[in-house]
Amino acid sequence: MNTAVQARPTVGVPFPVQVALLTRRFVRNLLRQPAVLLPNLGISVFFLLVYYGSFGDSPAVVELTGGNYLNFVLPVTVLFASISGGAAGLTLVEDLESGYFRRQLAMPLSRTAIVLSAMLLGALQVTVEAVLIIGVGLILGADPATGAPGLLAVLFFSLLWGLGFAGYSVATGLLTGNARAAQSATFIFFPLLFLAPVFLPFDQLAPWIQVIARVNPTTYMLEGMRSLMIDGWVAWPLAKAMIAGSLFAGVTLTWAARVAVRKTSRT
Amino acid sequence: MGGIGNVSADGAMIEVEGLAKRFGDGDDAVEAVRGVDFSVGEGEIFGLLGANGAGKSTTVLMLATLLAPTSGSARVAGFDLDGEGAGIRRSVGAALQETGLDPIQTGGDLLELHARLYGFDRQAALARRDELLGLVGLEDAAERRIGTYSGGMRRRLDLAAALVNRPRVLFLDEPTTGLDPASRRAIWDEVGQLRDEGVTVLLTTQYLEEADQLADRVAIMSDGRIVATGTPDELKSGLGADVIQVEFGDEGTAARAAAVIGGEARALGDAVRVPAADGPAELVRVVGSLKEAGIEAESVSLARPTLDDVFLGIVEREGDR
Repeated sequence: MNTAVQARPTVGVPFPVQVALLTRRFVRNLLRQPAVLLPNLGISVFFLLVYYGSFGDSPAVVELTGGNYLNFVLPVTVLFASISGGAAGLTLVEDLESGYFRRQLAMPLSRTAIVLSAMLLGALQVTVEAVLIIGVGLILGADPATGAPGLLAVLFFSLLWGLGFAGYSVATGLLTGNARAAQSATFIFFPLLFLAPVFLPFDQLAPWIQVIARVNPTTYMLEGMRSLMIDGWVAWPLAKAMIAGSLFAGVTLTWAARVAVRKTSRT
Repeated sequence: MGGIGNVSADGAMIEVEGLAKRFGDGDDAVEAVRGVDFSVGEGEIFGLLGANGAGKSTTVLMLATLLAPTSGSARVAGFDLDGEGAGIRRSVGAALQETGLDPIQTGGDLLELHARLYGFDRQAALARRDELLGLVGLEDAAERRIGTYSGGMRRRLDLAAALVNRPRVLFLDEPTTGLDPASRRAIWDEVGQLRDEGVTVLLTTQYLEEADQLADRVAIMSDGRIVATGTPDELKSGLGADVIQVEFGDEGTAARAAAVIGGEARALGDAVRVPAADGPAELVRVVGSLKEAGIEAESVSLARPTLDDVFLGIVEREGDR
């Protein structure tokens, strides 16, 4: 056997292949410990059941929310699953702690590919959970106005939102380098989610919450997804959701990339 | 950029000039490496020997492109550290002091993934995985998660991971620190095998025996500087022909005896070693001064110097400056 002299590959691996291979590693690791999906999934399903149980039979609420409260509240629990995007930051923190992150930096790999693959993992985890939650919603009696294609659009929005959340968690994870701190940073999710028209339509909110909700991207994500569930294909809410989701993901991805460059710069 | 760098005419695979690293600014600044120069020829095993904090690991991190130097320059495998880092990363392998392994992957998956990331196709990656598992003797553990490996197994897998791309230059930063003697021996055998295959190795170690055993040439580092360079034999013969070794029952007595003997006598655990250019005459003097001070020795012997003697002598002289 000759370890040294045989031909070695001399060209770098293309960026998309790097991302695919690194993401495959994260997916394999997730499949080795699928239980990490359960807590967030459990909480999301729990909220779906509790919201529906609490408000679903109230004629006033049902009238305000378009006739089927399940259609109204399902997007909330789908967005709730996006907290799973926080897995992206945690996996990078684990790599920092194990030294595997540094090994990757010593290899001919793009730093962006390393960070992006973690974000894709986060987004993937969000999508898997969103699929399961939508499944539970359909079993309970959700009835989307746009049918199966609309549900795919809902999934797309949850993926976009999850990517944004993954970017946020990568940035905080790399900044703190500490699993507990990175986990705590995901608490920002709660004000972000609840200062929006979560349980009732926007015009039913108290004026002070309306002020905040108007600049909260969660509002536009929820309204876009709800329009698919309740009203059918209406362009404007979908466009707003698209813009809000892209802005959120764009801002957090840029932040994550900047932190990653700073964190991995060789000084 | 092409895959093969321009190696200098004299065949040096690592050329380092005035490489320095300062951490922090102002009063808090730490000069980890204070301008080192050395050159390692193709197929040579070059040892950087020094205590903790001597600057060995910082030097390796700079050459592996993981840390930017404050000043100085280097070429590794024909690529310039300044601006051709990607070429270096393609051509070298690095097993750093802290192993960098993902505990959730299996050993086999990790090696296969890395082979793919270095550009091997699927079949070639699987073959490379099996080859490396065989090299480091981990075939039976290939399907186990790395988190379940012992320290020695992790080191061996880390070494295998550093070899995936058939590197022209291999950095081994304290590859056996913290290992039991059997695992250390296994790593030594593997490094010896790599030497036979012509891989250029930069090895750091705080174990003098390791440098003596593996390295063709050794540079002794102390406080960020290289204070001596040579083959292990050159360094040892520079110290004098013989060393007198006097054993005592305990460290306290040894320390007292070293003070009594004076000169270049050094306490090492419960023994004292005295370099002796003129062996027998010095032996008489040592025994005489111990007797005078009423210190009883358990045994006295004359021995060839080890790298320990070289190292400690140099470090002590540096400290006296």
